[in-house]
Amino acid sequence: MDSLVRIEGVSKIYPRVHKPRERLKAFGSLLFGRKPEHGAEVLKDINLEVFRGQSLGIIGENGAGKSTLLKVLTAVIQPTHGSVTTNGNIAAMLELGAGFQPDFSGMDNVRMKASLMGLDNRELGERLDDILEFADIGEYIHEPVKHYSSGMVVRLGFAVITACRPDLLITDEVLAVGDESFQKKCIRWIEQFLKDGGTLLLVSHSMYVVQKLCQKAIWIHEGAVRKSGDVFPVTQAYLAWHEFRRAQEKEMRIMAKGDGAYYRIEKLILADSIDGVLPEFAMGDDIVAELTIYSPDDRPPVGVFGIVRADGTPVYGVISDNEGATPLHLEEHRYSYRLKFEGINLLPGSYSLRGHSMDPEGVRVFDSRETPFRVSGNTKEVGYIRLPHEWLD
Amino acid sequence: MSKEIHKKLDRVFFQNLVVHQIRLDYLENLTGFAWLILQPLILLAVYAFVFSTIFKARIPEAGDIGFVPYLAVAFWPWTAFSEAILRANSSIIANGALIGKVAFATEQIPLATVTATFIMHMIGYAAVLLMLQLLGTSIQWFFVLLVIPLILLMWVFACAIALVTSAMQVFVRDVGQILPPLMTFWFFTTPILYSASYLPASIQSIAQWNPMAWFVGQLRELLLFGEINFDTNSLVLVLSIFVFAWGSIRFFRRFSGHFEDFL
Repeated sequence: MDSLVRIEGVSKIYPRVHKPRERLKAFGSLLFGRKPEHGAEVLKDINLEVFRGQSLGIIGENGAGKSTLLKVLTAVIQPTHGSVTTNGNIAAMLELGAGFQPDFSGMDNVRMKASLMGLDNRELGERLDDILEFADIGEYIHEPVKHYSSGMVVRLGFAVITACRPDLLITDEVLAVGDESFQKKCIRWIEQFLKDGGTLLLVSHSMYVVQKLCQKAIWIHEGAVRKSGDVFPVTQAYLAWHEFRRAQEKEMRIMAKGDGAYYRIEKLILADSIDGVLPEFAMGDDIVAELTIYSPDDRPPVGVFGIVRADGTPVYGVISDNEGATPLHLEEHRYSYRLKFEGINLLPGSYSLRGHSMDPEGVRVFDSRETPFRVSGNTKEVGYIRLPHEWLD
Repeated sequence: MSKEIHKKLDRVFFQNLVVHQIRLDYLENLTGFAWLILQPLILLAVYAFVFSTIFKARIPEAGDIGFVPYLAVAFWPWTAFSEAILRANSSIIANGALIGKVAFATEQIPLATVTATFIMHMIGYAAVLLMLQLLGTSIQWFFVLLVIPLILLMWVFACAIALVTSAMQVFVRDVGQILPPLMTFWFFTTPILYSASYLPASIQSIAQWNPMAWFVGQLRELLLFGEINFDTNSLVLVLSIFVFAWGSIRFFRRFSGHFEDFL
């Protein structure tokens, strides 16, 4: 296969440059051909290869190093270690309005940008109509760019890129700006570009966009590759991790009044789960849960089961006394509810099973407990749950 | 170690950069263009007044040409040279947004600034020469053919200095503070307001290696006296300027890949 981009062992250290003395020192070491070694390491030993016709999504938190990686890829900055090899015509959209001169008209800026992307005057002349049509900003093209809305700047910037017909398109979260109809237009253009054999490198926080446009994904975490491969496992792992992190604080607040509670939960488990391993189910599996409650007055307490997303969003809940369920009396003071969810229709992601104990009258919640699990699967559906459906003619 | 990737200079892009620079600096308002001629003209009048009326400076070499044409022929190219370097110095930082987002040969930015400044001032220079002719000074128009390569060489020299200073400016911001007084010092040590023969003999041996002294000397000889005076010293100077220019590009590229870290 034809490799368009290959980066090997790339690290990037941003030198410390706050004090004049540090800048002077960096200047000196560069003068003698050495690279500054001390500073913030934002990329650590990254290896990556993109072949012709592939589409790769780069995901990760803010500050993980995604943009720096793109800058290294496009040779805007040089890596501290490692090598970057690129082939073919590369168009990078790190920021669509970059280099636009606000005092000049849109037309002047199109000329400038097109020449920056390597188009000569003849090529620009041939494609100018296409650019204007794509940007679709009408007579504003003759107005100074400083009078443009941010959406118009983006449209114009994207329009110039479309005219460059690159082999490899690199975009950094640019689809997040602009209005919805323009976003769709861009996505349609990128889809056509991919269909025509184009290669794409996309940074986005929208897993929807990444899954829609990319075959492969790479998850950058704190400057290093955390996971890479086919787009679904990588994006799902990232989302799960993300939700899990967001939930952690929340969990602390909700959980376990524990020993102090009157009707205390002693145990909440998923059947077949092993200690220390996150239980994982495929879509359509059965889930069996067990909730054991301590009852000081030995009356049977009401039990509640619920499923929440890892970020705490409720998905489904069921209360024993509403459905006439009675607990198993294990021994004195100890009651147990067992519940089976049949063929769970949860979409892939991270979830938690919640159990609550209530007094026998079902008036108030005394104790809560939560245990996480994962659902895996390959699907492009969105949301939390699969609703039975069929497409009608 | 990573390979250093150098983007090619792009003719169309460079043209656009120069045109934009000219429009931004000179043509955005009508007065900008007028001031381009007026400002050096006023300065010239001030110097002429101070030196010929107050100091009663007499320049024997000028003969019956007079002080003002003698000064003007040297003063305009110096203004272009000095302004080009000072403007180019901050050009990298001014274009930081572009440098951080798009990969291109960054040396084009200071080079475009120098080029734009030279183009505009050379239009002014031509106008002033014409004006002098109309006021009765006989300009040796035939030698303009030699003046053009001379100005181009001066442009090369200005580009070379601009590459060095603008690259340094990114790392050491003090360059921007030191440069203007340095240029003023250079102005007064170059025989622009006076003749080279005014310099003490001890300094003259050093001063003959001041490229700007050589430039203004050549310009005066060609345009006012119609003399060609190209000796071995001249040849050494011309070659040195080219070597310096080559070195300055190397110097610039050593740093240009790291600008983004420091902007």
